[in-house]
Amino acid sequence: MIRNYFKIAFRNLWRNKGFSVINILGLAIGIATCLIIMLFVNNELSYDRFNKKADRMVRVYFQGDVQGEKMKESTVMPPVAQTMKADFPEVEEATRIRDYGTPKLVYGNKSFKEDAFAFVDSNFFQVFTLPLLQGDARTALIEPNTVVITKAVAHKYFGNGDAMGKIISFKDGKNSPCKVTGVIEKVPVNSHFHFELFASMASYPESKEPTWMYSNFYTYLVLQKGFDYKKLEAKLPNLVEKYIGPQMFKTMGITMAEFKEKGNVLSFHLQPLTDIHLHSDFASDLSQPGDIRYAYIFSAIALFMLLIACINFMNLSTAAASKRAREVGIRKVLGSGKRELIQQFLLETIVITAIALVLALVLIYLALPVFNNLATQNLTLNFTDHPLLIPVLLLLVVVVGFLAGSYPAFYLSSFKPVEVLKSKIKSGRKSIGLRSGLVVFQFFISILLIVCTLVVYNQLFYIQHKKLGYDKDKVLILQDTWMLGKNVEAFRQSVKNDPRVVSVSGSGYVPAGKSNSNNFFVSPGENSTQMIKTLRYDVDENYISTLGIQLLEGRNFSRQFGTDSSSVILNEAAATAFGWKQGAVGKTISRLNNEGRKEVYSVVGVIRDFHFRSLHERISPLVMAFSPDQGNLIVKLRSNADIPGLTTLLKKRWTEAGSEEPLSYSFLDERYNNTYQAEQKMGLILGIFAGLTIFVACLGLFGLAKFTAAQRTKEIGIRKVLGASVAQVTGMLSKEFLVLVLISCILAFPVAWWAMNKWLQDFAYRAAISWWIFALAGIVIVLIAVFTVSFQAIKAAMANPVKSLRTE
Amino acid sequence: MIKIKDLEKIYRTEEVETIALNKLSMEVKEGEFVAVMGPSGCGKSTLLNILGLLDDSDNGSFIFNGVEVGKFNERKRAEMRKHNIGFVFQSFNLIDELTVYENVELPLIYTGVKTADRKAKVEAVLDKMKIMHRRNHYPQQLSGGQQQRVAVARAVVNNPKLILADEPTGNLDSSNGNEVMELLTDLNEQGTTIIMVTHSEHDARFSHRIIRMLDGQTVTENILV
Repeated sequence: MIRNYFKIAFRNLWRNKGFSVINILGLAIGIATCLIIMLFVNNELSYDRFNKKADRMVRVYFQGDVQGEKMKESTVMPPVAQTMKADFPEVEEATRIRDYGTPKLVYGNKSFKEDAFAFVDSNFFQVFTLPLLQGDARTALIEPNTVVITKAVAHKYFGNGDAMGKIISFKDGKNSPCKVTGVIEKVPVNSHFHFELFASMASYPESKEPTWMYSNFYTYLVLQKGFDYKKLEAKLPNLVEKYIGPQMFKTMGITMAEFKEKGNVLSFHLQPLTDIHLHSDFASDLSQPGDIRYAYIFSAIALFMLLIACINFMNLSTAAASKRAREVGIRKVLGSGKRELIQQFLLETIVITAIALVLALVLIYLALPVFNNLATQNLTLNFTDHPLLIPVLLLLVVVVGFLAGSYPAFYLSSFKPVEVLKSKIKSGRKSIGLRSGLVVFQFFISILLIVCTLVVYNQLFYIQHKKLGYDKDKVLILQDTWMLGKNVEAFRQSVKNDPRVVSVSGSGYVPAGKSNSNNFFVSPGENSTQMIKTLRYDVDENYISTLGIQLLEGRNFSRQFGTDSSSVILNEAAATAFGWKQGAVGKTISRLNNEGRKEVYSVVGVIRDFHFRSLHERISPLVMAFSPDQGNLIVKLRSNADIPGLTTLLKKRWTEAGSEEPLSYSFLDERYNNTYQAEQKMGLILGIFAGLTIFVACLGLFGLAKFTAAQRTKEIGIRKVLGASVAQVTGMLSKEFLVLVLISCILAFPVAWWAMNKWLQDFAYRAAISWWIFALAGIVIVLIAVFTVSFQAIKAAMANPVKSLRTE
Repeated sequence: MIKIKDLEKIYRTEEVETIALNKLSMEVKEGEFVAVMGPSGCGKSTLLNILGLLDDSDNGSFIFNGVEVGKFNERKRAEMRKHNIGFVFQSFNLIDELTVYENVELPLIYTGVKTADRKAKVEAVLDKMKIMHRRNHYPQQLSGGQQQRVAVARAVVNNPKLILADEPTGNLDSSNGNEVMELLTDLNEQGTTIIMVTHSEHDARFSHRIIRMLDGQTVTENILV
């Protein structure tokens, strides 16, 4: 029996090659896309879960609302870890990470600038699950001046030799040399930090300071098994009272009660370790966080994709099945019951699904490298890493096969043999309503995705063409020029004298990409107690002209004024925040420095607001101080400058100036664009999935058009006999599908508008969702639908009516 | 009106060659009522399709109204067909999704008659066929005889010069069949040329002339009037 079913199934597939190809290909693409997205989402959700204690680990963060300025810091003060372990018995372990930036390390004649160096507490490797290949996790970092490194770093410094016990020293000599006391494989990709060198916290003096007035330490706690972190979080206000209060009174002269009375808030919070990757919105963190919303969006797309493919499958199977009414009739006459027929048809769809699954796996193997490349992911389809995959896939085959096969199975098996054999069945006409509904749903999703993609790209275009208040084109950033030490001035002169260069400014502060950042709390006037949080940029006299920032009032900094070291220039937002919408020039601002002495600055100029942060954020108050700093050289080039020639020359000069490091440089416009990588990635992925969805939906439409045309052969014949032209018949057949597509548009537009409006809320500066986006999406989808359907319609319309009417 | 000389039509499949019309010649004058008879497979339907400009011939000449139409392309044939020829089929071939009125209206739409004129014409012909009261019904709601009356109405609504009827009574009982035959006779008396394929000697007797076919050729002609 089963053999007969299989035989019939394969013969049917073979006989209806067109249908089979559409069916299997559509389903395979649907399954492949769904699986790739599932791998992606699974990877996003897996962050930090490799830690054995992940489910009871939290990170402490700090939140404040001081004089209306909100802050949310992923780091806390040095004593927090130790204090919490001492004060709260439910805290089993506490450990800290201090990101140490980019120190330059030396071993023998090898030296490298490391960008993944951190000081960590001695219990770090007992808290995080990063097994040591060499060394002892419990003792490796107890001593000062010890370091645990990854295998890759060991190889870089020591080649194939043994790393243990070797001494790595700091180029700048500020820190003592470190002895390698442990080697780990590497930090997993799905970790929220990616350090390569872990030095012992004991070698970092700042870690022992008892200050509660600044925060630089990422602090993690391991809680007792089954302890709810919310309960601990509720106790944290005491910490503020008990420890920050006295220190605040000592340095700022106000009590915590007074501070709070003014409406200020300071608080500690806890964040589960596994939430760090997807639920963080800190100004800075150990790695670029993911976004849970994207995980949701992509999961939805995966589900839709699979649904669309199943709908196609169902639609096409039902359509094709009506051709087999005779077979059903004969089988019934020969004694087959309804049950056997249902079994037979379900078996067929399950066989097809299985074929599609195999094809889908092949597609994934081919597409995954491309996807990884486009989306900068590192996904693999690996059955050993995902042992659940095989049962999940088998279940998928059965479920999809059943979903797709059930309707045709139950529909066909209910045919009455006599009617079938007398070909009285108006085959499939009844189910047209259901199938139209399914087509509407498919196109609803397609249009939704098209509109979303267009909105994302429109916003990216807006970002690229937005007037930023500074000129990002033809600006070369020579990075880390401070490394040249005393030679930097000569190097700067040589750059400035190059005929291709318009101007040069030295500053570590760059409006796009990696930049220094320095909060600056100041008061308007000399005696005000009002404190306003601003951002301070240390710049020279060429900064404003080099970046093409517009000076609205007053003057630029100048070396001719001996007093400019206490002059500042404000942006419009700062002037407004201080209450000087007009006439800010000549006013003074003041602040208490770290030693508690008052510093007074006088405002010499006001510049137009420029976007020194991403367009996600409103422009905030900015104070520029005249404090030449050689962090980077910002170089404005002539519009026709020969850039490769210049960079070659600069690299040579750089080496001549005595640097062992190669010159690193970047272009301001590229740095700017890189700020929006997440959005670009989103746009790209949406675009790809929109394309795939449309493709699969069109396969379905094509099949349905083919089926409908076949259904209506006789009608088309009659109409042609009565004088209908090919164009008229084509139009008639296409029109019905266009109506479906239009209904989809009407349904999809408001949903798309709502969703994308929400997405755009993330940008303080955004492009409007204008009517043309909808118009364009509508036109695109209609054209695609017309193209898909008209092929079948024309074919049907061209057919000789004699043949269609002869089938009596 | 119709002059056919040495008409040939051969159907080819991969292995078999079937000669449907074998150098067939015949002539039909304007206002005639001709019945074509013969056993199954003798080429009657093929002849009717070629006469109706639904199909083309492989060889020979076909002059319709003084014009050689044998070599017309499909578009020209369609143009000629919709203005000059009406069809009545054995199985009525009404469109199930359209009402009686809409079915009859179709040929007028395709010949580009204005809406207002269409209404007058359709109503006139429905009246004449005595199915006005059924104008808003769907074909399935009608009896066979009524359905064939609708089909005849549809065939004549455009005032064609020629009506081609393919076994018009084949699916009807005898009383309904007679009714349809009388309708056709009336139309013929009003000047419409009719060519009818039939198996029924009874029906054939309504015509002026019977052409008998065998193996793609005419074998005899009986003139009845």
